[in-house]
Amino acid sequence: MVLSLRGPRSLAAWFIVAMFVSPKMSLAQNSEIESIRAVVKNLEQQLQKALQRIDQLEKEKATSSTKIDQVEKSIRASQSAPSALNPAIGLVIDATAEHRDKAGGDFNFRAAELGISASIDPYARAYAFFTGSRDEFEVEEAAMVTTSLPWNLQLRGGRFFADFGRLAKFHPHEYAFVNTPLSLERIVGGESKADGVELSYLFPTPFFLRATAGGYNKLGAENERLDDTKSRAWSRFTYLGRLHTYFDLADNHSIELGTSLAYTPSIRIPEEPHGGSRTLTGLDVTYRYQPLGSTLYQGFTLGGELFGNSERVERESGLRRMFAPGGYVYGEAKINREWAAGFLYDNAPSLASPGKKTIGYSPFITWYLSEFNRLRFQYSYLDDKVREERSERGHQFFLQWTTVLGSHTHGFRTR
Amino acid sequence: MNRIRRNVILLAAVSAAVLGFALPVSAQRIRVITTTPELADMTKQIGKEWVEVESLTKGVEFMHAVPVRPSFVPKLNRADILVENGLDLEVSWLPALLEVANNSKILPGQPGQIDCSVGISVLDTARIVDRSEGDVHPKGNPHYGLDPLNGKTMARNIAAGLSRNYPQHRAVFEKNLNAYLAELDKAINRWQTMAAPLKDVKIVTYHQDWSYFANRFGLHQIGTIELKPGIEPTPNHLVSLVQKMQQEKAGVIIYGPQSDRYPRQLASQTGASVVRLQSTAGALSETDTYIKFIDYNLRSLLAAVKKS
Repeated sequence: MVLSLRGPRSLAAWFIVAMFVSPKMSLAQNSEIESIRAVVKNLEQQLQKALQRIDQLEKEKATSSTKIDQVEKSIRASQSAPSALNPAIGLVIDATAEHRDKAGGDFNFRAAELGISASIDPYARAYAFFTGSRDEFEVEEAAMVTTSLPWNLQLRGGRFFADFGRLAKFHPHEYAFVNTPLSLERIVGGESKADGVELSYLFPTPFFLRATAGGYNKLGAENERLDDTKSRAWSRFTYLGRLHTYFDLADNHSIELGTSLAYTPSIRIPEEPHGGSRTLTGLDVTYRYQPLGSTLYQGFTLGGELFGNSERVERESGLRRMFAPGGYVYGEAKINREWAAGFLYDNAPSLASPGKKTIGYSPFITWYLSEFNRLRFQYSYLDDKVREERSERGHQFFLQWTTVLGSHTHGFRTR
Repeated sequence: MNRIRRNVILLAAVSAAVLGFALPVSAQRIRVITTTPELADMTKQIGKEWVEVESLTKGVEFMHAVPVRPSFVPKLNRADILVENGLDLEVSWLPALLEVANNSKILPGQPGQIDCSVGISVLDTARIVDRSEGDVHPKGNPHYGLDPLNGKTMARNIAAGLSRNYPQHRAVFEKNLNAYLAELDKAINRWQTMAAPLKDVKIVTYHQDWSYFANRFGLHQIGTIELKPGIEPTPNHLVSLVQKMQQEKAGVIIYGPQSDRYPRQLASQTGASVVRLQSTAGALSETDTYIKFIDYNLRSLLAAVKKS
């Protein structure tokens, strides 16, 4: 508008308008027009200056905001760098209120299990589980696992649950029921905790088939036959072999089979000079009904394991090789999204006198408040002929509360 | 005579064995494993004769609770490419399988793993990443495939991923991608017109998985049956949901692979209509491709809206 008043065309327009509107324009009016022109020119110059100033300010603003962005980015980077590569961390808290006929009541703080895991580099990952209970704080597992070995091989080293059977690789809070089956506890020694090295091979078959070979100081968290803390002859290590397969019987039905053998050539330790070789065998079978369209609400698992322990035992008549068989079987059905119930049968021999057994019957029911918060009630009746421990007899009641904080996966083994 | 016959049998056996190794064209094809059937469909459309594709899930599963089946392990072991939805949709089952699959090519971050969520405008990013908010996805809502416009990004990601790994076939993948995108665009135009009656319809969903779909077609989600993601409703929550549905005149309840118990209960109390939609493709013959799957959901929802 300002510019349009200045061009020759505009002047002509002014002139014409002036002629019509005021045919008798005086000299004074002419000078007024001149002064208006001067004002307009002045305004135009000021506008030009203002526009230049705006341009300049915008440029300054752009450079300064880039600078601020850069500073903010570097602050963010330096703030996040120390923690960005932290491993995934999770904590499981597992506690029970118990009543045992022969032992009385107890609030049992079973475990606070701290788990961490992360990749190490492009070649390996690692994980660890530190467990504190009311008796001890221990490194349950701390293992390195390769991720990119050729020929379908995978190497694991450190302390871990050796690939023996199925339930021996579970942390107790992951069972479908409250307690470790006595058969597993007595024959294997609870979890198959071992310090050593293990090599697995995935067969290039169309179905899942995996073999594992391992060597360990000893196998079994509660296994007192061998000392885990001393150097010894290679004959006093435990060597393991396992074959594990799985078949989808139909879309919703599957079966998983595994067979394991752990061999210790000599279990002689100073306190037991007459020991010989020990062979531990296992056969595990798991049937699952998992209706794919409703796994949230339905499902059934029937799992069992047979164990056999063969070792030399000292008798009055001399050293004798004893074979102690045992095992457990359990079934668990999902009732709906929040409830599951099942039954555990347990048959646990005494390793020293395999004829004597403890038979356990345990119905249990679980309420999943969420995926990470679970309450379980279990009743157990133990028919104990072994009489090793007073508490392992008669009626027992458990109310278990288990929760998970943060990241929590034990991965493939505890599916 | 017997000897000749034996030789013939032997020759036949040897030839069969040799042919057995030589015959499968699949040996030269790129072996692709996808986590969902719609990703398998898209990969087939883009890779055509160069790919051999299999989806691990069948489309009937609840994607947050897919059983970790060891039978998936050999498939992942032999895969050249793994195509995944990403945004942690598969977090509860895929990492456990990759742990034992011994295939470093398809591990996260490797070129062989194609994450289809790259470039998606993510919805429902958690304000508070804390389990008091239920089974939250820290990276945001992973069900973006329900918006067909995101389908285009997914297809582009697959084509880019295939080309990254097999640059010699880039031209073919690009040509196939463009043909597929044209087909998808045509469908999207059709759906936009079809979906007109859905505008401003108020819905309640079982799980928070319909945000992208609602966003695209102008639906308003006023609540979920689940108290929080992954947490079943409490009686109080259901009561307040019924009140909200009545106040806001919510017409439709959408559920997926969950039980229909709560949807029916709410419907009987509010008069809203109930519709079961598909969260992923593949469960039905009418949903065996991505386009048919979106089409099916849209048609089913339109029918439910009409009924309400």
